Amino acid sequence: MNTISIIFALIAVIAVLMYNSLISKKNQVDNIFGGVDAVLKKRFDLIPNLVASVSQYMEHEKTTLETITELRASAMKPGITDDQKIALDAKLTSALGAINIAMEAYPDLKANENVMHLQRSLNEAEEQISAARRAYNQAVTDLNNAIEMFPTNLMASYMKLQPKKVFEITVNERANVDVGALFTK
Amino acid sequence: MKSTSELTDFYYKELYPSLSELEKTRLHILSQLKWYGAMGAVSFLVTVIWMGKNFGLLHPLMMGIVIGFAALASITYRFMIKGYAKDFKSKIITPLIAAIDSHLLYNPDFMISQHLFSRSSLFKHDIDRYSGNDYVKGSIEGVNLEFSDVHAEYQTKDAKGRTQWHTLFRGQFFVAEFNKHFKSRTIILPDLAEKTFGNLIGGWLQSKNMSRDDVIQLDDPEFEKKFVVYGNDPIEARYILTHSMMKRIVEFQKKISYPLFISFVHNHIHIAIATKKDLFEPAIFTSLLDYKQVMEYVSTLNNTIGLVEELKLNEKLWSKG
Repeated sequence: MNTISIIFALIAVIAVLMYNSLISKKNQVDNIFGGVDAVLKKRFDLIPNLVASVSQYMEHEKTTLETITELRASAMKPGITDDQKIALDAKLTSALGAINIAMEAYPDLKANENVMHLQRSLNEAEEQISAARRAYNQAVTDLNNAIEMFPTNLMASYMKLQPKKVFEITVNERANVDVGALFTK
Repeated sequence: MKSTSELTDFYYKELYPSLSELEKTRLHILSQLKWYGAMGAVSFLVTVIWMGKNFGLLHPLMMGIVIGFAALASITYRFMIKGYAKDFKSKIITPLIAAIDSHLLYNPDFMISQHLFSRSSLFKHDIDRYSGNDYVKGSIEGVNLEFSDVHAEYQTKDAKGRTQWHTLFRGQFFVAEFNKHFKSRTIILPDLAEKTFGNLIGGWLQSKNMSRDDVIQLDDPEFEKKFVVYGNDPIEARYILTHSMMKRIVEFQKKISYPLFISFVHNHIHIAIATKKDLFEPAIFTSLLDYKQVMEYVSTLNNTIGLVEELKLNEKLWSKG
């Protein structure tokens, strides 16, 4: 009787520990996603200004600029899921990257103090986003590992926890487009 | 900034007159040291033999005699090289630092403040004795920096109530402005636990370090193998430690053979290099013109001051302008 109750208590303690560790991992993911959201918003705030300042110069990139505006609008819609946000962010990043590269062809832009300022702010936001993505990916990996590994997977399936998607970090982004260098050439 | 080879040229060419003068002093001191050393050794032996005959070699007084002779030797040595060491610093190290960059100020007797050392949060222990020398302050490419030799110690009492001194850190301590704004605290320490206990147990031990913030797992395997990172903001830690920054730190660690401690606190980077010795002390037993010796002075200075370029602290982001 005594042995059984000890075993039972032990199992209960282990279950509680597993439960708490899963919850703390899940909360960490949500918490860091909040950070990601904040820096993404910072970038969203810069976009209208950028589009307005460069569109008069960049005739050939009209479509890309329109895409950026659309992506921003859809990413800011209330009620979109985290996964959708992640997908939109990837598209936005690549569109902004394309604009960065295209800017090289417009010497007038280099002379525009306002655009330069925006570009640098955007570059800083980009670095913060990249950091937030990496932090998020690590938190998601920790959670996903716990969800898939034995024995926490048993508890996770009981709690109906689902593995989350990570941000894809493109090769491009790893190199981090150096806007400053584009202007100082 | 000048390259190591340019500085070595400067050392041999421009400083040659002062060097040859100092070299003469060094040889003179060396011959005096030999003479005093021989005298000391003989008198020590005579005393020991006399003691052995009269009281036995294990007499408690023997301990006092050994300590007394050692103290006398150390005091004599310091006294003899005092003037020479001072000349060496003013005639060799001062112009050498000025040659690296004219914006740098050098004070051989001063040290980095204890406040900055404690602020770095690199060493979690109360400091009971703090000393240092060879202080350099100035700016390189617009980045304010300062560094010096530091010796931080703490004391404990053993069972008999005797005070014992322990070294917390001895080596070079460097502080510079960082090129990004941050509010958090990020601390990079040598990865001793993982090295000693392996990945699994070491990693677990690190995460249980109560005196530190949470462990931050980073996505550079080579960096992770060499260092452990503690911080109170996982996003800002990665904002500071970009992939390229981690690579630069790994490269710097490969270049120096001493343990490296780095912290990012209060918009500043703090770097502690545990050399366990005093730098820029004049050579007594090797020639001042010896290439290896020269390289040690020059490359130590260049490595430290070169940290600004090495870690690209001069590449400022817009908002920090």
